[in-house]
Amino acid sequence: MSTIKKYAVAFPHFRIADTTLHPRVRSKGNHAVCYTDEDIMTLAFEACSQLQLKSTGVDAILFASTTPVFKERYHASFLADLLELPQGILAFDFGGTSRAGTDALLLADTLVKSGAYRNVLLVAANVYYPAIGNETATPFGHAAVALLISNEDGIAEINDCQSFSAAIAEDFSYKGDNIQYDARFARTAGFVSNMATVLKKSNLYPTTVDALFLNSPYAKLAFGSLKKAGFNLETQLLKDTITPAVGYTGACHGLLQLISAIENRKGATLLFDYMNGTNLIRVTSTIEISKPVLNNLLFENVETYQDYLQLRKQGDFESRGYAAHEMFSSEMMQEREKDHLVYLKGYECSSCGTVYLMKAERCNHCHKSDFKKKQLSKTGKVFTLTSEHYFPASFTPTNMVVIDLDGGGRISVQQTDDMFQNEKTILKIGDGVRLVYRKMMENDKKPNYFWKCKKI
Amino acid sequence: MSKKRDIAIIGIGMTKFGELFNQSYDDLVRDAATLAIKDAGIAMEDIQAAWLSTAFPEIGVFKGRSGMDLCEPLNLYDIPVTRVSNFCASGADAIRNAANALVAGECDVAMALGVEKLRDRTPQDSIVKMMVELTHPFYQKGFTAAGTFAVYANRIMHEYGVTKEDIANISVKNHYHGTLNDKAHHRIACTLEQVLASPMVADPLTVMDSCPTTDGAACVIMVRAEDVNKTKHRPVYIDGIGLSIATGWDLPFFDTKHDFLSFKATQNAAKMAYTQAGITKPIDEIDLVEVHDCFSIVELLTYEDLGLCKPGEAKDMIRGKATQLGGQIPVNVSGGLLSCGHPVGATGVRMVVEVASHLRGDAGERQVVGAKKGITHNIGGPGAIASVIVLNIEN
Repeated sequence: MSTIKKYAVAFPHFRIADTTLHPRVRSKGNHAVCYTDEDIMTLAFEACSQLQLKSTGVDAILFASTTPVFKERYHASFLADLLELPQGILAFDFGGTSRAGTDALLLADTLVKSGAYRNVLLVAANVYYPAIGNETATPFGHAAVALLISNEDGIAEINDCQSFSAAIAEDFSYKGDNIQYDARFARTAGFVSNMATVLKKSNLYPTTVDALFLNSPYAKLAFGSLKKAGFNLETQLLKDTITPAVGYTGACHGLLQLISAIENRKGATLLFDYMNGTNLIRVTSTIEISKPVLNNLLFENVETYQDYLQLRKQGDFESRGYAAHEMFSSEMMQEREKDHLVYLKGYECSSCGTVYLMKAERCNHCHKSDFKKKQLSKTGKVFTLTSEHYFPASFTPTNMVVIDLDGGGRISVQQTDDMFQNEKTILKIGDGVRLVYRKMMENDKKPNYFWKCKKI
Repeated sequence: MSKKRDIAIIGIGMTKFGELFNQSYDDLVRDAATLAIKDAGIAMEDIQAAWLSTAFPEIGVFKGRSGMDLCEPLNLYDIPVTRVSNFCASGADAIRNAANALVAGECDVAMALGVEKLRDRTPQDSIVKMMVELTHPFYQKGFTAAGTFAVYANRIMHEYGVTKEDIANISVKNHYHGTLNDKAHHRIACTLEQVLASPMVADPLTVMDSCPTTDGAACVIMVRAEDVNKTKHRPVYIDGIGLSIATGWDLPFFDTKHDFLSFKATQNAAKMAYTQAGITKPIDEIDLVEVHDCFSIVELLTYEDLGLCKPGEAKDMIRGKATQLGGQIPVNVSGGLLSCGHPVGATGVRMVVEVASHLRGDAGERQVVGAKKGITHNIGGPGAIASVIVLNIEN
């Protein structure tokens, strides 16, 4: 047996409408867009953090994304490290196609059903920007999905996983542009031909499913074939509500559609995930989801195209009187101080109970030297703060917050997602905040991450 | 140390503080040293040991990274010279080390010289850039020097009812004092409205709440009190020197028990210096104070840390104009760092030169009339290290 035991999704705080990207466009689409300090790893980490994996015994991690091209830190091993998964864990990466998410699901299902693995963490993340000025031609959207595939009871059972390849060049991206060699050739020799193969080879019986998703830009071309195969499009075919809300999320999209079906209790659901071939996934939801997320997404809207352009800079900081700065970072330091920097493991004085993120030889208050390790909380209250107008950032000022963490310990970090100063972002002493893991800078040819805070 | 050192300052000298584009680091060393030597009535050869205070050699052309950068412009070789670096307390620490060497008998005539050449770069490219680029990549990343003190301002406003106007009035006072000092970087008075309306640096601190980026040097010549030749010298005596490191760079920002209402380092340093000097009620015994107003909030907090008033009462001192020239206890009649600027390694020495000139009756139109005893105060790193020096015209 293989199940989806748990799932979580992560979207950026901000969203931009097609009408903001281009005032004369008629499309009513929206795009979830990363803040300057977000990327596939911060979104993936945010989704995984919601799963509360501590006691689940994850024994493999699969990371799928169409974003990275062999970039340091954009891989499953780094994510495993962030999540404190066991050293030496099986960690595989999937990319090169928007099917990467369901590709990984196929392998996760196989690993669990083989009995060799019990809990496979599948994570998909996508951050893709179209060429500047061409955004409304591409339904892009940023997101991450995390699924725990398990041999134990879950929220949905995975019944079928199959894959059928088709090596016909269709849509692909190249240097930010959407490329299509010959649309008619791609659709007939590629998509239509492949769907015919899938429907023929998979021995599907339309009566065995309650709902049907077709994740493909050419979905309408297959409707005739689906009808011919016996599917009732009016009662079985599900509408893609995700793309209009957040955009097309690449490697996440097929998985988001499965989650959408599970959250809406569609019973046995069939997903055709098409791009250079088709992945066919059949799942059956087993329990009602108490807190569905996809129908309750909240975003703050990016109000101008200029703000969107600033968001796209992704850490290319500017400030008054500054050129770009290369801040010091050190791979050695980050490995050495990982317990503090990543895991927020601090120390509690055994004598007076004062909690520190960093430990000195003696407690600063009672001067005793006996400490025990303590996991610090990721929530707390603002003790004091300021707004730095001369620190280089994409959006000045940089709000700096000194936070007393719930349960002890203090940390001083930047605020994030605070491009607009409004009731959602303006902090004052005593306000509650939560820590989120974000990018501090890109240097040493790689992204470097640390904790920042958001108003609760 | 609880015992008085019995040290006398016999020579003082300082350059103008400002954007000294035509003067190099070496020029500043040369000018401050020769002024102090001339004031002491001695020759260069009489100097037997020296301490050079420069906090940030990396901002210039690595001048000030060792004692040899004092030797080279003066051709003063074959004596022990030590570079002192202790953030904003560097200058005062150079004086402390010189005093200790005199007490120990290592030398009979000592020089303490502070110098900083910051304006070979743009202001944003100097100390701001250093904090952005070279500090720990994550801990406190995002703070500039202004921000590390602005968090104190917001906390004290929250706890003690201090207002933005109270903080800004420190700047108004010190900019007025600066108009009386021909060696100050800025000699322009300002109004409360101008301070509040100037560009924000780190909320609530504005540009006019912040000291400028400045070049400058200052120098003192010191001997043991017993070696003072009263007919030749115009000595000012050091009654007490306190220096304390009470936190680290990171600790206040990671220690839940740090209240951001005071600087323990200042309290410790003051206690040491007052004990040596026998001061028990500073408000009544001290005639003038030079305080480290790198940002105006720091002066406000320091009134309390130096024991000039009780916790929470500093706002009343500024509201009652007690610290203005002519007030109960004039503070920063030089114009402070806000007007003089802050060539970091030089500031502590510059303050001693300032107080000594008042005690000698040489301070011109800003003279604190009848001043016999004064103190200097520095704090830096940020808020971690403080020094207090008590000076007395009498021994």
